[in-house]
Amino acid sequence: MTSYSKEVIADLIEGNLPWHDTRRIMSAYKDDDRFDKAIAALQDRVEWDAPIILPVSSHLFIADTAKGRHTLCECGHDFGHWTKNWKLSAAVLIRDSDELLAEIYPTADLPDPRWMELREFICPTCGHLHEVEACAPGYPVVHDFQPDLEGFYEDWLGRALPPEPGVAA
Amino acid sequence: MTIHDPIKVDMPLRDRLLASERLMEETGCYDGITELRLRRQDPLKYETLHTKLRATCVSAREMARRISASPGVREVGEMVVAIYTPEGDAVALSNGIMVHVHTMSRFIKWMINNGYEENPGINDGDIFANNDAFIGTVQVPDVMDVMPIYWEGELVGWAGAVCHELESGGITPGGDVCLAQERFTEGLFVCAEKIGTNDEIRRDYVIRCERNLRMPIYWVLDEQAKVASCIEMREGVKNIIRDVGIDYWKRVMKEFIEEGRRGQLARTRQLTVPGIYRGHTFYGHVTEGKQGFQPLGPMDWLYNIPLELEITRDGKMKLDYEGTQPWGYHSMNCTPAGMDGGMFVTLTQHMNFEGLVNDGAWMATELNLPHGTWTNPDNEMVATATSWALLLPSYGVFQRLLSRSFLARGFVEEVFVGQVNSPMIEMGGTSQYGTPFGMAHFECAAAGSGALAIKDGLDTAYVGWNPESDMGNIEIWEQNMPMVYIGRQILSDSGGAGKYRGGCSFISTWLLNKTDHLRLVTSEHSSRVFDNGGMCGGYPAPTCQQHRAVREPNLAERIEARLPLPHGIGHDRRELELLEGEHVLVEGPYIEKPHAEGDIFTHSYNGGGGFGDVLERDPVKTAEDVENGFITEGAARSVYGIVVAEGDEGRWHADLEATAKLRADKRAERLSRARPVSEWMADEARRVAARDFAPEVRLMYREAMRLSEKFRAEFAEFWGLPADFEMESAK
Repeated sequence: MTSYSKEVIADLIEGNLPWHDTRRIMSAYKDDDRFDKAIAALQDRVEWDAPIILPVSSHLFIADTAKGRHTLCECGHDFGHWTKNWKLSAAVLIRDSDELLAEIYPTADLPDPRWMELREFICPTCGHLHEVEACAPGYPVVHDFQPDLEGFYEDWLGRALPPEPGVAA
Repeated sequence: MTIHDPIKVDMPLRDRLLASERLMEETGCYDGITELRLRRQDPLKYETLHTKLRATCVSAREMARRISASPGVREVGEMVVAIYTPEGDAVALSNGIMVHVHTMSRFIKWMINNGYEENPGINDGDIFANNDAFIGTVQVPDVMDVMPIYWEGELVGWAGAVCHELESGGITPGGDVCLAQERFTEGLFVCAEKIGTNDEIRRDYVIRCERNLRMPIYWVLDEQAKVASCIEMREGVKNIIRDVGIDYWKRVMKEFIEEGRRGQLARTRQLTVPGIYRGHTFYGHVTEGKQGFQPLGPMDWLYNIPLELEITRDGKMKLDYEGTQPWGYHSMNCTPAGMDGGMFVTLTQHMNFEGLVNDGAWMATELNLPHGTWTNPDNEMVATATSWALLLPSYGVFQRLLSRSFLARGFVEEVFVGQVNSPMIEMGGTSQYGTPFGMAHFECAAAGSGALAIKDGLDTAYVGWNPESDMGNIEIWEQNMPMVYIGRQILSDSGGAGKYRGGCSFISTWLLNKTDHLRLVTSEHSSRVFDNGGMCGGYPAPTCQQHRAVREPNLAERIEARLPLPHGIGHDRRELELLEGEHVLVEGPYIEKPHAEGDIFTHSYNGGGGFGDVLERDPVKTAEDVENGFITEGAARSVYGIVVAEGDEGRWHADLEATAKLRADKRAERLSRARPVSEWMADEARRVAARDFAPEVRLMYREAMRLSEKFRAEFAEFWGLPADFEMESAK
């Protein structure tokens, strides 16, 4: 069975693995222990101790905090319970004018800001840009991902989903 | 009949198809194959046979490409071939434009369901052709031929081949006919027609092609190529049957498909995380004031393309397009065959990179294409000539949703921000040889790709619809059109910004040569809105860019005076201003009066979306990008917060200290300019309640709500509006 060390997976996630090695991993049979190795590598990367249950973006994680199972930024900012859309607790910068769009597209033709805006969802603590929505004005904010944690852990990983802190079993 | 037996072969084809579908329903397995018996009994024989089948397909396609006269097929590989079961399910396929492996399946099933066995009859040596998207293809230029495979008088399979034709005889030259607003202007239709018998194409069919196409040599020789490849595959299958016996063949092809289905479910469980994934993209199109477009509906319009993906615990993927827009009087509608094909080609590239690739993978998915929308029109007169314009962005969303599932599972190397739609240029008129001609230019098969989660996207090297993604050689294109290249350049800043940027696209600049009448036509432009996206903080790639042309420029004078010549539009988009002449700037489809020798024309393609926060991009890599023209110095500073400077011998380097300071300032500025989402939503809710939007935006909401109560309810709930909220008509 294919398997890689935590260090290799950490380098892969960071984009630091030499291309030759990355290419080999891409072409090989997939490693069945990847999820656990990736979680271990990510847990080493973040500065907090709450156990990561699932990454939901490159710098956003569902983790078990003292307050319960919450979505955390890599910096530790708490976006609230994992079942809620984290974007609604973020800071947002709306690019809805030629001037604001041109900051990102300084040389290209621009979209029509009456038809389209960019919404930048930012961590209010560290300022990390977590997600950009490109949509018509007035479009509801999208809840990107609602994982089936129980199904994933119990049916796919073959082990119990850890009980959520502070929630009676 | 027990569910473990192959379907009885003496049944009429239609009954066999129905029985196969019933067995799938009853057992949950393809054709009732609940056990991969042959695989278990002798895996080596089983695997060897599949390899032989696949080799048969690949070699048939390569042979056929050498028969074709079309640079689309010869250079760019716009062809695919496949072998099917008697019921029309794909067993094995070649590389190439794989979207059509499944659209051909639809075509075969359509003939079976429509009584072709009785009339016009299905016999050994028959050739059937189709390019009707409601029967089974994507657009008119995708012309498919299938031939039955008989063994001792019994139909035991089909061989099929598709080529994308460079000219299909529509209202404008080429095949992606943007002026088509109904099917009647799309070009020459061949609707599930028997075009040949005894391995020979009928002369009257060839005459019809010759008299209805601007450049019949492409279509007609492609027909020869396809028939040759079908015969090659048919004979290959017969040889295999001679080796393994007919009973083994009948069983093994079904096991291959069932294994493909199981493999897809297993890969989903291995690579993803179950749950609900959501995303969207948009398409904004303008034709107001352009000659030739009939005022049959909105001339400028905005489409929303929402997509919800559910990955179930058993590994099934369900895609739902509810909430999207209705079909329209434009060329970008799609049919379920095209949407199915889009799903198939996406799966083959992003999940089925090992094991058996066939229709089984598609069977492990489910698509909801709401009736009446552009994904499933309730009117079969609609045009689908440029359905890729909406199909590609919609499956770009799917790629991003799938990628989030890979990222959550830890398989970051599989994360891909996705394919993009990219505009096409086609032309017709008088060739450089003085003859009538028409052609689609297929250098578009090399746009920029979306970024990955671990590296930048591919520059000028990827489109979703042709995984081989080759722009072709300039010299070959120049042989086939009355234009010569004066430049083919990387389009700087055309990749979406991000920690990993999207792949850049390119721009071609041509000088018209030896023609007094050249119609240049372009299609598939989302110029008003982004039809692609970024991921995890990455930005979308720019919208489709405007066309720049110069009529009667003073190029000869400048050459005579040995002055610098333009070779593109330059980083500042002003390089063509070196020339005197009539400068033309056009947004959206290029439908202008003909050009002539001496004119200059440019056409640019689209880049891919970015991944990750721009403030995390590697400054050293960015300096290399500036040096090589992928990113401008200004964008490095203003978008990425990276300070670069030119050193000796044109080498650029990053100033890491200045970059760190600039980035700290940009991060602080970002935080000071952003405000809480809750605060913004309170303001925005008032705007929504007042319906304070551009007319095209109001129309988009009104139409989405008309077709989907779910969309209306979710929209109203999100903004705290009454459940029966309506968006008034555009005034």
